[in-house]
Amino acid sequence: MNDVNLENLFNPQSIAMIGASANPRKWGFIILLNILKGNFKGNVYPVNPHQKSILGYRCYASVSDIPAALDMAIITTPAKAVPALIDECGRKGIRFVVVISSDFSETGPEGARLEQEVIDCARRNGIRFAGPNSMGIFSARSGLHAQMPPVMPLIGGVSMFSQSGNLGFQMLGWGAEEGVGFSKFVSSGNEGDLSSVDYLRYFADDQDTRVILGYLEGVDDGAELIHTAKAISKHKPIIILKGGRTASGGRAAASHTGAMAGASKIWKAALRQAGMIEVSTSQGLLDCAKAFANYPLPQGNRVGIITRGGGWGVITVDGCEENRLVVPPLPQKVIHKLDKILPKYWSRGNPVDLVATIAKDPYIKCLEILAAWDGVDAILALGAKRGMDSYPYSEEVNKPKPLVDAITLATEMIQQYAQQPDPVLMHLGQLVKRYHKPIIAVSLASQLSHRSFLEAFQVVSYPTPERAVRVLSHMADYTRFLNSSSE
Amino acid sequence: MNIIENAIARGAENLNEYESKRFLATYGIPITREAIARSEEEVAAKASEIGYPVVLKGSDEALRHKTDLNLIALNLKDEKSARRAYHQLVSRSKAKLKEVLVQEMIEELRELMVGLYRDPQFGPCVMFGLGGIFTEIVEDIVFRVAPLTRKDAMEMLAEIKGEKILESFRGNPPIDRDKMTDILLALSQIGKEQPAIREIDVNPIKLVNGKPVAVDALVIFSSDPL
Repeated sequence: MNDVNLENLFNPQSIAMIGASANPRKWGFIILLNILKGNFKGNVYPVNPHQKSILGYRCYASVSDIPAALDMAIITTPAKAVPALIDECGRKGIRFVVVISSDFSETGPEGARLEQEVIDCARRNGIRFAGPNSMGIFSARSGLHAQMPPVMPLIGGVSMFSQSGNLGFQMLGWGAEEGVGFSKFVSSGNEGDLSSVDYLRYFADDQDTRVILGYLEGVDDGAELIHTAKAISKHKPIIILKGGRTASGGRAAASHTGAMAGASKIWKAALRQAGMIEVSTSQGLLDCAKAFANYPLPQGNRVGIITRGGGWGVITVDGCEENRLVVPPLPQKVIHKLDKILPKYWSRGNPVDLVATIAKDPYIKCLEILAAWDGVDAILALGAKRGMDSYPYSEEVNKPKPLVDAITLATEMIQQYAQQPDPVLMHLGQLVKRYHKPIIAVSLASQLSHRSFLEAFQVVSYPTPERAVRVLSHMADYTRFLNSSSE
Repeated sequence: MNIIENAIARGAENLNEYESKRFLATYGIPITREAIARSEEEVAAKASEIGYPVVLKGSDEALRHKTDLNLIALNLKDEKSARRAYHQLVSRSKAKLKEVLVQEMIEELRELMVGLYRDPQFGPCVMFGLGGIFTEIVEDIVFRVAPLTRKDAMEMLAEIKGEKILESFRGNPPIDRDKMTDILLALSQIGKEQPAIREIDVNPIKLVNGKPVAVDALVIFSSDPL
């Protein structure tokens, strides 16, 4: 397939909305509403021969009636009408179409024939299209929310292509809650024409995209994917969730090799060869996006751990060692520095255990000593933000007054503490910039707080050490790929 | 000369063990010293040429998995036991056994495996892992999509869970990793150059002074040549 510049697909100046509807239960209404509510910067022209106006916008009987040049069209009509509409778009000079309509190859041979007809029409007209069976497209720069679910993504440097519309828009929705901002998204649908590899190429060259996410179930040409991704991975991280890992191989095998060649093993190999980062959950996709978009990469796989309490440190070390990370012992010079801050009985090891010290000062000082130590490439800061956002015990009237007073006081203290700007997190964010090392925080705080840590202090944090460890191991793996591919 | 074309011309679905290894040898893959014998006398002659101890195997392209059919006699230390084993194999085989393979016996506990598979999306893929009869039970294997770089091949060796088996083991030297990656790269090349071949098993690969040697192999053709 030829290289194609998808700029006018993602950032069109003018759109025809073919199949626009006045019925709030139709996609032709919902998508139009999302575009209008999403503050699209260009012009939208609803097309529907049976309506005069929709949502206060003048409606046109066909695209040829629209008195303006059009960059892109969105089609939501029944499948059978699509080929003729593509021809019409071609005559109007439209070069990009998003086919939302379904009932194509996903439903069987008849749908596949119709899809082929759409492909042939598009080729004849020099049109490139997303879908069919797409859930839509989003671009922050043009404010384009041509999408079925009413999700309002946070704006940021992550772009995603997804062979599942649902999963993709869930990422945008969760991302908004967790602080992961998106630049572009496309639900690639059946990929009748434009494929994941085309979107990958476009995101690779896109200045607004720093991290690429993808949800993949299959590709037509695996070799092309590897070849393309291998070149892109050298300058932009590509994080992939592969769906259908448990599906068995494509055909009955005559050899032992064939019998053992499950889809997951081959995909794992392919992704790894191309330097792509494979995650196994949708949460992992988002977690990685957050760190890769906001933090520097570690130079290697050596990790310093700081913790408030033993067990937390122990499971973090386990996680590191199970995920190709190393937790090196502290050298004497680092121990000497820490001796001056910590109580006499501290364990003198990595993880550095603050032994339930409540004051903020030692945490900041120890963190700085670890960050400055050239023996580690990254730091996991457990309990960087102490405690939770609210006191879990309610006031009780029938209890003795001193107890009631104590509960009231504790509630106030915790609320006050939660609302204060956090000096540890503020410092942590500065240390990341000063030492160019990722310092990932782990905290019991709520999801919303994690987003605020990022926004207020540029601190990447997760609620569990396991999630932090996984992300860090993916970062270290990526560094290894970059180093080995530049050899 | 061409082993593949000849076999396809006669309608074979795969190469037998002997031909499979001869084919692999044309790509530089080290194989066991061995010969075909069609009679008891030939068995005795070939065995003494190769040197005892030897292995006798039923050799027929229809026999894909000989162990399951009990058509292998291992560790035959002298002529008498070789002759006896020949008769046992002939009487055990249901279809009349036309020939047997006389093969050097490699005494090595460690068994590895390599293979080639054509994936519908990615094309030829090379496999490396623990070999022997428990291969499919343990399934300690890794794949790479062809073409492989030497770095890919080196990574494969390090990626199996049982990587320690490649180090020195019970007085035997560690595996020659360069030689092992040569084999993986050869399979990658076969995958790219031989569209008529659908799958290959090389199992087991044993080690002679740390150098990998293909002891058994099976080359399977595409039913629908590409």
